[in-house]
Amino acid sequence: MSIEPITGRYVTVTVEGTARRIYFEEAGKGRPVLCLHTAGADTRQWRHLMNDAEITASNRLIAFDMPWHGKSLPPEGFETEEYLLTTDAYIETVLAVIDALGLQRPVLAGCSMGGRIALQLAALHPEHFSGFIAIEASDFQPAWYDIDWFHRPDAHGGEMGAALVSANISPHAPEAERWNTLWMFMQSGPGVFRGDLSFYTRDDSLIGRLAGIDTGRTPVHIIVGAYDLTCTPADAARTARAIPGATLAVMDELGHFPMSEHPEGFRPFFVDALARMPRVRAEVA
Amino acid sequence: MIDRFTQVQSRLEGAPHLLRLGRLFSETVLIEVAGDEYYLTFEAGRIVSVAQGPSRKTPWRFALRTDADALERFWQARPEPGFHDIFGLVKIGRGRIDGDILSLVKNLRFFKEVLGLARAQEEGVA
Repeated sequence: MSIEPITGRYVTVTVEGTARRIYFEEAGKGRPVLCLHTAGADTRQWRHLMNDAEITASNRLIAFDMPWHGKSLPPEGFETEEYLLTTDAYIETVLAVIDALGLQRPVLAGCSMGGRIALQLAALHPEHFSGFIAIEASDFQPAWYDIDWFHRPDAHGGEMGAALVSANISPHAPEAERWNTLWMFMQSGPGVFRGDLSFYTRDDSLIGRLAGIDTGRTPVHIIVGAYDLTCTPADAARTARAIPGATLAVMDELGHFPMSEHPEGFRPFFVDALARMPRVRAEVA
Repeated sequence: MIDRFTQVQSRLEGAPHLLRLGRLFSETVLIEVAGDEYYLTFEAGRIVSVAQGPSRKTPWRFALRTDADALERFWQARPEPGFHDIFGLVKIGRGRIDGDILSLVKNLRFFKEVLGLARAQEEGVA
């Protein structure tokens, strides 16, 4: 038997004028690294890195479930609300969690929609962060599917969503982790994946902001998997080119959920990314 | 190519979890390989018929149109990027999906895993 070092707690923050009870996990000490999960999933995507003693020896990894996801509840009144994530609400949520947890200029590591919002924060609110690791992140991805497929009364949105995103998992991924990754999508609440995809596939406001990101102050490192059909290496490269000073790494054997689908394959890329992020003095104080 | 589809048909009989996943799937699917038509007729998850076209009389629910090289690469134990999924074939311009896409999406895991039954088995690969 072994008990993992990850601990989980809850914090209530206010977003869009209403209280949100947020579940967060953390492991390690030292530099804070805030980790954002993908659409339709939750904090469990980060568990392998949070259980990595070498990484957590000098990095405090914190991950939280977005409202509606994982163990974070939707806000009161959700039963009559259509969940549609927006850039503004997403930004407000991330900043509220940083404030509530008292994090001093964390590194922000986000995957997929988490990577998208990381780049939005790099453009709009860099003063709260020391650097950005944007994984499977690009400027904009229009949907090649109908997002309404994933919320309808005659079918299971979670099972359909998992079957769809399985297209983005590398055949090099260990089977157990492929299915653990898909399980989170299968568990996703009704309409949640659709609401996340609304943000991811309809809001193109980042495109015009990329050139204004100051990587001299807050570095941006983009990581992309060759098996990612949603954010392809070409999409990530285009995005990196649009950000002066941004760096890019392509992972030949990984897909859209690298930290979850193939933790061993992703680890060196994440370690490299962390090494590119400056250690700010505030973390010592 | 038809041997590939009869191989899928027989391997499906040995995959009880897929028969369970597909128990509500009773449709005909057209796989078009460089213009050659193959009709796979499913009943309650089983493939009861693999018929080669051309046929103008066979109704089908949805179709996957691709080419032989793309399918063979799809059936590698570890396909290259883009060849690893039917939507990958579409994305890289080597496949097209027509017809009742929602029917496909509702049965997506089932259909993708059934088609993948012709995939090469690689020693030591989970």
